[in-house]
Amino acid sequence: MNKFGLLIVFFFITLIVGCAGGSSSDESPFAQKEGLDVVDSTPLQDPITEPGTGGVFRRIWADPPSLDPALVSDSTSMGIVAEVFSGLVKLNVDLRLQPDLAESWEISNDGTVYTFKIRENAKFHNGKQVTARDFKWSIERAVNPQTVSPVAETYLDDIVGVMDVIEGRASEITGIKVIDDLTLQITIDAPKAYFLAKLTYPTAFVVDRENVESGGQTWTDEINGTGPFKLKEYKIGERIVLERFDSFDESVGGVEYIVMNLAGGQSMAMYENNEIDITGVGLFDLERVLDPNEPLNQELVIAPPDFSISYIGFNTQMAPFDDVKMRQALNHAIDKQLIAEEVLSNLVTPAYGILPPGFPGHNEQLQGLRYDSELAKQLLAESKYADADTRPRIVITVPGRGGSVGLDMEVIIEMWRQVLGVEVEIQQVEWATYLEDLSQNKFQAFAGLGWEADYPDPQDFLDILFHSDSKLNHGQYSNGKVDLILENARINPDPVDRVKLYQDAEEKIVQDAAWVPLWFEGERHVLIKPYVKGYRLTPMMVPKLRQVKIEK
Amino acid sequence: MWIYIVRRLVWIPVLIFFVSLVTFSLGRFGPGDPVVVMLGNRYEESTAERLRDELGLNRSFTIQYAEYMWGFFRGDFGESLRFRGRPVRDLIVPKMWVSAQLGFAAMVISVGIGLPMGFFIATRQGSWIDPALVAGSLFIMSIPVMVVAPALLWVGCLKLSWFPCSGWGGFFDSRLVIPAIVMGVPGIAGITRIMRASTLDVLGEDFIRTARAKGLSEWRVNSVHVFQNAMIPIVTILAFSFAGLIGGAFITETILGIPGIGRFAVDSIFDRDYPVIMAITLVGSMAFVVANLIADVAYAFIDPRIRLD
Repeated sequence: MNKFGLLIVFFFITLIVGCAGGSSSDESPFAQKEGLDVVDSTPLQDPITEPGTGGVFRRIWADPPSLDPALVSDSTSMGIVAEVFSGLVKLNVDLRLQPDLAESWEISNDGTVYTFKIRENAKFHNGKQVTARDFKWSIERAVNPQTVSPVAETYLDDIVGVMDVIEGRASEITGIKVIDDLTLQITIDAPKAYFLAKLTYPTAFVVDRENVESGGQTWTDEINGTGPFKLKEYKIGERIVLERFDSFDESVGGVEYIVMNLAGGQSMAMYENNEIDITGVGLFDLERVLDPNEPLNQELVIAPPDFSISYIGFNTQMAPFDDVKMRQALNHAIDKQLIAEEVLSNLVTPAYGILPPGFPGHNEQLQGLRYDSELAKQLLAESKYADADTRPRIVITVPGRGGSVGLDMEVIIEMWRQVLGVEVEIQQVEWATYLEDLSQNKFQAFAGLGWEADYPDPQDFLDILFHSDSKLNHGQYSNGKVDLILENARINPDPVDRVKLYQDAEEKIVQDAAWVPLWFEGERHVLIKPYVKGYRLTPMMVPKLRQVKIEK
Repeated sequence: MWIYIVRRLVWIPVLIFFVSLVTFSLGRFGPGDPVVVMLGNRYEESTAERLRDELGLNRSFTIQYAEYMWGFFRGDFGESLRFRGRPVRDLIVPKMWVSAQLGFAAMVISVGIGLPMGFFIATRQGSWIDPALVAGSLFIMSIPVMVVAPALLWVGCLKLSWFPCSGWGGFFDSRLVIPAIVMGVPGIAGITRIMRASTLDVLGEDFIRTARAKGLSEWRVNSVHVFQNAMIPIVTILAFSFAGLIGGAFITETILGIPGIGRFAVDSIFDRDYPVIMAITLVGSMAFVVANLIADVAYAFIDPRIRLD
């Protein structure tokens, strides 16, 4: 998942709110509105102030770019869609694959045919039975060109016949068969171990045909979903209210309402004044909250870092980055440890590989291209571009609106200058233009970008970002050996062997210095009210609000 | 005077035409494409083309513009690109209403304090109170919102628990207080200074001497003759600042969690939501034009010497 928009929003909110001396984010770095039960003296005429037994969980969120599962491509939308809709399978809070609307499935011996058995008591919010036909229609809708889904191809193209629909040659997916009301058969093009993980993404979720067809473009105003919560209210820029839906899943009980505040505000102050139940802790408040004598310290929870990485990308087809030695030299010249400690207050972890810590396949042993100024100089001297006079000018493009390229980039540029004598120019472009040029691989080098996991499989990072044929390989990195390993890893049935293959590919990619991997996210500090039980902080967005209980 | 008003009204469409043409052109020819923003990192030419088709963005500029303006004058501001399928009017009207109420509350503070203070210090010209109050109000005006808002939150919400820390509950809700102070107090300085200057002007006029000479009480001279005449320049300022307040206040709204138009406008600009940007700009400029007209008309009522024809 593209992490870029998120970074921008984060930057902006931090700029505004952060300058104000407050914290910025919540669990996701966004903004919000309106508290319930704000001050005792101001009762609100609100149906949700007097809830049933389950209580209310109040948090800050942002307006979701889309609530249509077929269109979701960002974590803000995902945080709501994953609770209101559901699919055949899901990831639980430990990121393990679990049955959801499908109670079981069988995989054919050759690993290409999946037969799902849908639960008899799988129901839409209006009580209608979920059938295999609903799934077939939903997936065909998601990939239909009319739907204009930005993610359908990424998540569903393994299914036989999907590309025919996407490219307009067919309207039905040949690889999806309705065997009977509750049996769905999906055929994929090769035995890909990560296929089920991809189905946990909303693009493969079920929607109610009647709901979609009768609602027009704004059908998501009144959603008839299948997820553990119903969308009770959505006022753009104000708030979203979710209401518990008792279906087949899990124990009855749990929180009754989720109130997501969309209007902005000082989350730390709102938390302290009991207007919200969870908040992220910004740098400004961190010291205070970490003090054991501070009452808030009791409510502090350390959240695992998101599965994401930020990096500088090189266009390996353009001079001077077409020379591996040049790329390696630039890598070795950066002291990431120093930057992380001195400049970024240890809020990040230096990245030497591609797969983030805790992510399947993450390699603790990976050495990577660590800081070594002598080696860097030597590599530069051996490269085609050793001579500064004939070396092409280097322009790194960053997105942004403010003129600042970020402290880390400034230090990196200085390190390149001091260690290698390499001068770099920075070009800042407005972000819509940035994305457009990026997608056409126009940049010589680019920074300010990150990648965030969509599903817990190394394929999501390595194959999608570095395979020669991948559309998201914006540096046009191409290594035949790596391609071959990645292709083998796709279909290797043995989980241990697969991880080895991916680690092998990662090692080669890092040695080829396709990127300068910069930072993995560090741990985050979050405050959660003591009466909120069962809220799990996860490194990826998964459905998890059903486990929350309010015990006041 | 009616002829004057009608003449001014005729100019409104002309003005709107130019404002809309400029805004529309900037949106269409400026860098950044809403389709690209929507697709983000997943941008692909074929998907983008389909989306442009669907949104009607690949038709000629003239047709797009004409169609937009035709809708606008019928009260149809089009549909948002960011929130697909939603009428822009439904999106912006409630938010403008919130911002307008907040703006009004802020103005009550600026005027309520600024006018009497300006008048008061003008009558104390020469004493230490005059420079002290002017300097004081300028100092307060110079403190950025980013400092004032959190400071007020800390005191008013966290320490004293007088007000909630965020949100909006309408004009008669305690949550209005902090944002109204944040937005209203900086305005005091301007109103004070203009009121002071115009009061001083009026005090030097012959008719004040006449009023005193014919034996009117000091209170009556001040309230009827000085204050009323000193108000005239303030009216223009008020009209303009109120029109400006409909535009909302991005930083205040963001820090205090108010669902106003300021934050929404900024988000819409970054997301290239043309129809929303257009509507906010056009409604905003219309507010200016109308406010200006009201100010001119109000002159005539306050000062009978002014004739609008």
